[in-house]
Amino acid sequence: MTHAPEAWTLCIDFGTAFSKAAVAPCDAWSRFDPAMVRPLMLGERDIGANVFLLESAVFVDEERILFGPAAIERAEAMASRKRTALRSFKTLLSVSDLDRALNTAAAGSIDPHRLFSMRDLVVFYLAYLLAAIERAVAADPILAPVENFERRYAAPAWRGADSAGLHNVVVRLFGEAEAVAEVVGEQLLSVRGIAIKSARSALAAARTTPRVLDMGLVFEAPAAAAYTSIGLEDSAAHMVVIDVGAGTTDITALARRGKRMEELPEARITLKQAGDFIDRVIANCTLEATPWARSQAHQTALWNALMRNMRDIKDSVFLDGRAMLRFEGRTINIAMRDIEKDTDFRAFLRELTRAYSRSLEVVRAAALFANRREVQAIAVGGGSSAPFVQELIRRKPPNSAKLHFTPRPATPEWAHAREFRGNLAPVFPQLAIAIGGALAPEGMLAVAPAR
Amino acid sequence: MAAGKRKTGDTSGKRGPKAKRTTPVLNEALAEAAWLEADAALAQALTAFELLSQADTGRERSEAMALLDQALIRAVRRRGLTRFGATGGREPYDPARHDLAEPGERPPRTVCIVGQGVMRGCEILAPARVRKAP
Repeated sequence: MTHAPEAWTLCIDFGTAFSKAAVAPCDAWSRFDPAMVRPLMLGERDIGANVFLLESAVFVDEERILFGPAAIERAEAMASRKRTALRSFKTLLSVSDLDRALNTAAAGSIDPHRLFSMRDLVVFYLAYLLAAIERAVAADPILAPVENFERRYAAPAWRGADSAGLHNVVVRLFGEAEAVAEVVGEQLLSVRGIAIKSARSALAAARTTPRVLDMGLVFEAPAAAAYTSIGLEDSAAHMVVIDVGAGTTDITALARRGKRMEELPEARITLKQAGDFIDRVIANCTLEATPWARSQAHQTALWNALMRNMRDIKDSVFLDGRAMLRFEGRTINIAMRDIEKDTDFRAFLRELTRAYSRSLEVVRAAALFANRREVQAIAVGGGSSAPFVQELIRRKPPNSAKLHFTPRPATPEWAHAREFRGNLAPVFPQLAIAIGGALAPEGMLAVAPAR
Repeated sequence: MAAGKRKTGDTSGKRGPKAKRTTPVLNEALAEAAWLEADAALAQALTAFELLSQADTGRERSEAMALLDQALIRAVRRRGLTRFGATGGREPYDPARHDLAEPGERPPRTVCIVGQGVMRGCEILAPARVRKAP
């Protein structure tokens, strides 16, 4: 029988390159219906781009500020004049001294007029994002009548920092962004963006009456735990999440205590090698194994071709053991077994295995102490399909005869539900954190909304 | 209530009276997003197919064949298609899942898989090719 949700949760995920958002019923955790999960169409349809991904980009032009795909397009056209778009808001959100980073003036390549701080530009982008969310909700026949959403955003765990303090900075930014969006309106979504003059006056007006947006904060590991374990009758109380992102590999262990999902801080490990490091290893191995590309120009061209195709190459290398790339009329073979011989890569694998074993040991002890029988393991992020990561999550530590260690798939079984006709699963990994953040019960939040 | 207040929309209440399920619009958009990913791989497959048709030597042919295989597998993954049935394996005959070679008057109880089938989600797109088990 169809269940009519009374209230809905909206979660925003700032990805490094793209922002995403998803909505789910507030009571999804207790009565899960996959068909009620609503990824939001933040972009415009019919422009040949994935409509669920909104490019995280702001470009300050001569007289206007452009957002999203228009910002990227203009930045590419102006690249020869050393102009760039501001991107990677997620990286900014991860710094420990967020206030200081935000109050820094934007670089000349980003803002040649020297008018804006990083904070100003982030506020403009958030205003654009809020306007895109508004449009997406209005276009969704199920969500259009909904008046109120409980809102939250997903962020990487703020290691060793004051989470509540950083969260306060972010909700103030959102408050300013909402005020700017109210003044500027739908112009934010225009491909022409907004006039610098209007942007400055909207910002000044927003700051005369500061407000905060009431939002919760969910860290990425609990969001992954939420989409992995929701709807499972045999969901384990203990879970280890390995997130192989672009810049870092984060290992997090979580334990459910009553209604709360808490992190086991002793199990938390961050390695500075991750997807970008693996990309460089693959590119270097390939260059070494390509004796006919010896000149500097040739090597640079090959390096660029490898980096442009790296996502495809990693897919094939990780899942099939080898990849092939056509370059200047020749076929280049790239094999996982060659990458595994690389000295730096082997050192990374050793470090990763040691770190994962340490985290696993902590979660093993916690599960046994709580008299539990099962620990679930999940790999997320761009490198999650790598064979060495999959091997890790199948690992069982010594002295754990009484415990089952269950690896969970990166795309949960419910994403294959009949209602989606097979269409959600292929794009799920890109939307996973926004969806998990919307599904997570309040006990999994790092900071709950004020109410 | 910790809520983000919407500026637009129906003000009659939190929810409309009827809950609809996943809409065709959402499904279409999800399918389009997956197709965008798969299109690049299909373009690579076409290029590899051309290489194959122009190959003069055995080595060129096997290289082009491997490139074609790689591109098709990528496209298939990005559309969420999966193969089912292990070639050489035996399973109970199911006319919805199996394409039976040389069918007799009565359907067999058990069949032997000679070629894998393809599915997307729960939907069977190509049945597995089977023969009556000896």
